[in-house]
Amino acid sequence: MAASDRDAASTVRSFVKKLKKRSDDVDIDASLFSEGIGLDSLDVAELSAVLEDEFGEDPFSVGQMPETIAEIAAFYDEKPAADA
Amino acid sequence: MTEINYEPAAHYDRVTAAWRMLLGTELHYGVFEAGDESLDAATAALTNRMLSAARLEAGQRVLDVGCGNGAQACRLAAEHDVSVLGITTSQVGIDLASERAREAGIADRASFELRDGTDNGLPDASFDRVWVLESSHLMRDRDRLVEECARVLRPGGRVALCDIIRKREIPFAELKARRSEFQTLRAAFGDAHMQPLELYADLMSGAGLSVDVTEDLSDLTLPTFDRWRRNADQHEAEVIAALGHEGMDEFRKSCDILESLWQDGTFGYGLIAAQRPA
Repeated sequence: MAASDRDAASTVRSFVKKLKKRSDDVDIDASLFSEGIGLDSLDVAELSAVLEDEFGEDPFSVGQMPETIAEIAAFYDEKPAADA
Repeated sequence: MTEINYEPAAHYDRVTAAWRMLLGTELHYGVFEAGDESLDAATAALTNRMLSAARLEAGQRVLDVGCGNGAQACRLAAEHDVSVLGITTSQVGIDLASERAREAGIADRASFELRDGTDNGLPDASFDRVWVLESSHLMRDRDRLVEECARVLRPGGRVALCDIIRKREIPFAELKARRSEFQTLRAAFGDAHMQPLELYADLMSGAGLSVDVTEDLSDLTLPTFDRWRRNADQHEAEVIAALGHEGMDEFRKSCDILESLWQDGTFGYGLIAAQRPA
């Protein structure tokens, strides 16, 4: 995993705020999809690319489909610490 | 990432005027039966296929869902002696359509209201025909669209729908790799979501309708992109004045992208019609 000063939850929140033009806090437990934040498949593809650029890998590209920001964060938290 | 608002109403408000120059008078795809006909002839041919599928009869009450600038609704009212209610989520569309009907002297038979096709608020069983021409791809909740179409149909009434369709699943890795192409399409054509023709058929059947027309018009609509590019060349200055250089570039790129998606079997064009049991 690439070293980064940001955590995944912050990266996703920034992505959502910019995409959806939101100024309020984004609930990390809200659904990413139609009943919550409202991402569609193309938005998810873009998010996947953003996460991959930032952290070197992303859950969507390895076949996972996290439903919330918290689940995305968990994907990275579950990984061993990055090589120092 | 661009800051442009892709909500359907804002999108239509921004580009309605320019689209008329780019897409032709009828503002939709064409069916090229000979291959070398003009865009106007081909768009008229698509409309005629919808008319055949809808089986319009004089005196009927028609709901035009996603009526755009009202061109279709006014044509139906003027040429087929029906009364039409056009609905759209764009106030600019309502204003343009209402003006068009007044100028044509048919405002008593073609009216327009600001309503959402997926929650139209109209009474049950209040229309003989529902007409959905190239608007469904902008409505994310396709289930609700079809449910609403079925709900407002009288027994024996018909719905006719045509639109861009998705002809295969797009794997996530491919979507990610080609996301710039799809972002370009979104910038030019709005927040579109294409669905398979089979899905429309399933939804209509599930809503209690009997599907009796399904047509894959993908090959016959392919020359549309060539004609759109010609219009872009012909009306370049006017379109740039309305959309800007970036908008014009996005449109030209979109023509190329859509053409390639048609040719590789990803997207295409379909027409479907169904009847509510009498």
